[in-house]
Amino acid sequence: MGNEAAAAEHSGELIHYLAQTFAPGVTIHMQTMYMTWITMAILIVLFVMAGSSAKLVPSGLQNVLEFFIDFLNSLMESNLGIKGRKYMAPFIITVFMFIFIANEIGMLPQVGVHWTSPTNDINTCFALSITVAISVYVVGVIHNGMGHFKHFVSPSPAFLPLHLLDELTKPLTMALRLFGNILAGEILLIVLYQLAPWVVPELWVMFSLFVGFLQAFIFTMLTLTSFAGVFAHHHE
Amino acid sequence: MVNINATLIAQALNFLILLFILAKFAYKPLLKVMEERKEKIANDLKAADQAKADAEAVKAEYAAKLAEAKAEAQEIIDNARKTAAAAHDKIMADTKAEQEQVIAAAKESIALEQKKAMEQIRSQVIDLSMAVAGKIVEQKLGSEEDKALAAKITDSLMK
Repeated sequence: MGNEAAAAEHSGELIHYLAQTFAPGVTIHMQTMYMTWITMAILIVLFVMAGSSAKLVPSGLQNVLEFFIDFLNSLMESNLGIKGRKYMAPFIITVFMFIFIANEIGMLPQVGVHWTSPTNDINTCFALSITVAISVYVVGVIHNGMGHFKHFVSPSPAFLPLHLLDELTKPLTMALRLFGNILAGEILLIVLYQLAPWVVPELWVMFSLFVGFLQAFIFTMLTLTSFAGVFAHHHE
Repeated sequence: MVNINATLIAQALNFLILLFILAKFAYKPLLKVMEERKEKIANDLKAADQAKADAEAVKAEYAAKLAEAKAEAQEIIDNARKTAAAAHDKIMADTKAEQEQVIAAAKESIALEQKKAMEQIRSQVIDLSMAVAGKIVEQKLGSEEDKALAAKITDSLMK
């Protein structure tokens, strides 16, 4: 429904999501979708290119991607153990690389295309954090059966409310932290362009590029700590 | 700005699709290659260590063999020296003994010759002295008494 988009532009808000209603109750932010697809396309092209010509002696693109994979592998190994790393590698690498690229494409120069980060949309952030939370249950049950739910009542059943609260707040904080950082970065960039069009925004872009990496890293680390309990007794 | 709607589900699906595609087509070869490389490096290092240990063992063996060979050579030289010294001593002793024997024989023979010569001289001197004395006293001296006297004089003169 174009009305809503037009209304959003007239509302004076700085960030536009191009909301479209496809059916009653089914509204989708098309700007977020386009940017997500671009992010996915970038990742698929890069990784499939490197993967299809993976060599024992790496060079070029393979080196760059292996740098990230190796970095994540060492994080996984210290948090999940070797078995956990082998099992979780695809998930964790995808989480990190997706958030990393998503955070950075919003910092591209606004030439021709209105670049925004898919992660400036609360829906993306919640989609990721909830996917992580559900994956923890799925992987936990696959690995430990119903024993996975034992940690809710450890060290004693009195801790059950705390554990339940933890399960709820974890995805909430993960999503809001990512969302807040990226959205604030983009809003401030737009404001800076209006206040001081030269030099200052570029400095902010540099810092935001770093923040983009940092937030991807933080989200990945929190994901790893969520999964750590699943693999804890495997490597202790 | 903070509308939670169907985008959430779409994004979750997008993420799962991305995860599926990457896991299926990209990570497997990459992770496999990385694992293989890690293994290969570890194996190569192990092989290098093994080769080094082998080389050191061979080196030690060679050194031991060399020392053994040296000792053996020394022994052979020592034996040869001893044998040579013994042979030398024996030859020297033999030569000396022979020499002494030859000298002794020569001395004996000289003494014998000398004695023989003296005997001849003595009998000639006796004859000559008797002839000389006979000429002097103008008479023939030929009795046994004269001969004995001449012999006595000759002996005392030849002494």
